[in-house]
Amino acid sequence: MRMALRELRRRPGRFTMATLTLAVLASLLLFLAGLLDGLYLGSTGAIRAQQADVFVYGDTSRDSFLRSRIEPHTREVVRQVAGVTAVGGLGLALVGAAVPGSDDLADAAVIGYELPPRGVPEPPAPGQAWADDRLRAEGVSVGDVLQLGTARIPVEVIGFVDDTNYLLQGALWVEPGTWRAVQNANRPDARVADDIVQVLIVRGDGTASDEELAARIDAATASLGTGSGATSSLTKAEAELSLPGTREQNATFNQILGVTFAVVVLIVALYFALLTLERVPLYGMLKAVGASTRQLFAGVMVQAIVVATAAFAMGAVVVAVGAATAPAELPLAVEQGRVVSTYVVLVLCAVLGSLASLRRVVRIDPAQAIGGGS
Amino acid sequence: MLLALSEIRRAKARFTALALAVGLLVFLVLFQQGLRDGLITQFIGALRNQSAPVLVYGEQARQNLEGSQISPDQQAAVAGMEGVARVGRLGEGTFTVSTPVTRAESDPDDRLIDAVIFGYDLDGPGAGLGAPTTLTAGRLPTATGEAVASERNRDEGFDVGDVVRVEPAGLEITVVGVATDVNYSVAPTLFTSWNTYAEARRVRNPDAVDVYPTVLALELADGVDEGDALARITALEGVEALTRQQAVDASPGVAAVSQSLNTVIGLLLLTALLVIGLFVLIITVQKASALTLLRAIGARRSTLVRALLTQTSLVVGAGVVIGSVLLALLAPAASSIGVQFRLGQVLGMGVVTLALSLLASWAAVRRVLRIDPIAATTTQGLLR
Repeated sequence: MRMALRELRRRPGRFTMATLTLAVLASLLLFLAGLLDGLYLGSTGAIRAQQADVFVYGDTSRDSFLRSRIEPHTREVVRQVAGVTAVGGLGLALVGAAVPGSDDLADAAVIGYELPPRGVPEPPAPGQAWADDRLRAEGVSVGDVLQLGTARIPVEVIGFVDDTNYLLQGALWVEPGTWRAVQNANRPDARVADDIVQVLIVRGDGTASDEELAARIDAATASLGTGSGATSSLTKAEAELSLPGTREQNATFNQILGVTFAVVVLIVALYFALLTLERVPLYGMLKAVGASTRQLFAGVMVQAIVVATAAFAMGAVVVAVGAATAPAELPLAVEQGRVVSTYVVLVLCAVLGSLASLRRVVRIDPAQAIGGGS
Repeated sequence: MLLALSEIRRAKARFTALALAVGLLVFLVLFQQGLRDGLITQFIGALRNQSAPVLVYGEQARQNLEGSQISPDQQAAVAGMEGVARVGRLGEGTFTVSTPVTRAESDPDDRLIDAVIFGYDLDGPGAGLGAPTTLTAGRLPTATGEAVASERNRDEGFDVGDVVRVEPAGLEITVVGVATDVNYSVAPTLFTSWNTYAEARRVRNPDAVDVYPTVLALELADGVDEGDALARITALEGVEALTRQQAVDASPGVAAVSQSLNTVIGLLLLTALLVIGLFVLIITVQKASALTLLRAIGARRSTLVRALLTQTSLVVGAGVVIGSVLLALLAPAASSIGVQFRLGQVLGMGVVTLALSLLASWAAVRRVLRIDPIAATTTQGLLR
């Protein structure tokens, strides 16, 4: 093993090609993972922030906020379900926001709420909003009056909250009446009456699992009839994945990450197969003087791990610099956990790739060292 | 050439393995390219294959059909513009529907599906603007409650004669025709009359008061400069005019799908480059002693390099053929997701792969060029 490390120290040039190739792949892995996390977090913030166990949608809405509609009688039935301790309404309108002093419209998600999400204060007064930090990057400041939608409904920003966005649109948290005013003025075809909300969030007393509570709610509202009050209830995790494109986005990115890891295995396998091939006479010699296959192969594996580690460090630096200089609209979020897991999987792939050389190391005949082998 | 062919003949297993690996990679690249093109068509086919050459969006939508809406004032202003020959209303929305096929499902969760509905004017000055242009069976709608459906979804209850119900209230739409490549957002798509679309909106939301067009479908007067006309319309308050192609290119999903699948394709090409490069390098190292001997008995460097490149090209060429045959065999089974055998794409891929293989051989060529014939006179040199 010491010899393997010494070779790395004394002949680093021999490993340059493999290290650089893996560094490119490592930066690609981290960038893709950062993009996946950034897209996911930026899309699901409004759901993740809710202090709720179950989300209740209209049963014909296909779990879409914009197609869901909850009438007061449904809400009353949900409120009476055993285990339910609190029920709050949510409503959502996606609009362009005219920001004072800016020529460009900001993408905004106006969210009317009754029960405060984590980190969001109680609902503000009509015409006021808590804005998500994302809108700061669009030039929004406390005290600004934003004009929402084509109808230019004025809403004053009274403070900022963090990580509460919806589908990468900056959240504006308002009381339900303000949401209805924005929705009704801008989308006459999606108008909502005073007592209607799109989705209910439900808190349970902890005596039933979230899945059980969701099932109980749907069973209780089933008698109201399809499209007339029956509901489709989801746990929080299910609600996050029900957002448009979220599930497909995760699947696509994970597929790309999987292909990239497979490429890493292949590259390491081929590279160390080549290295081993070049060292056949040397290994024959070492075996002749008593080195075991295990010792020789451990050296190959250590080199693979060191190369993967160096490549990962280089890739991480590239991505860190990229993330620091990237424009604010690029949803890049390099999470600590993701960095660690990427490193672990990369090293595992390198070890897996180096295993391809094992057979060749085993087959080396020490007799070659004295000219007895072929 | 002879040397290269003789070696391939005598080490069939080794070269077959490389040809198969390259073939698999070529197949994967061609498959992903087909998937990318098919998915993009499913995202924006409805826009690409509708009859209006110009679409006017609400400025707030930032070229996203889902967020666009045109007020009556804007509609009147656009209609009154010089150079505009005809203006029609075009509505778009995603709805929950059931079809004869889904209604027969035993699991209630499978009885409802998403469908995109486009509504256009069947009569009036803008009649027919926004109608599908790729009808393959049946006819275009002529009355309220009729629609042309996306051919891709025929088997899901969108065939001619099927009745699609918009939920929750059960507004019925009868499919009277089907058209190819008219999906939007990868969902089953229906082109119906404006009135049917507006009714579907009201079904979805009983509180709806007015239904505004999503975009305006325009036809410019003969002889009018398209660029000038679009600029004049865009100068109006709150609207943005786009040609059909501009609308397609700006659609959400197109860039995301292209970037995602192009990343995978790029990775596969990089893998092909490295696999070919390392493989060629390995076989060159393995036969280093034989090459040294050949050099010692007078073989020129160029002869050995030519043999190496010939060998690489032949094996990679065989890989391209294997990948193409695989695609030709499997494309019919994957046609539902848009994968097709396109000769131009296959030939292009062949050229790219051959170019990559020559680039990948660079390290092996360098090693051949560095061989010193004098090494043949030492045991150490022949073993290296």
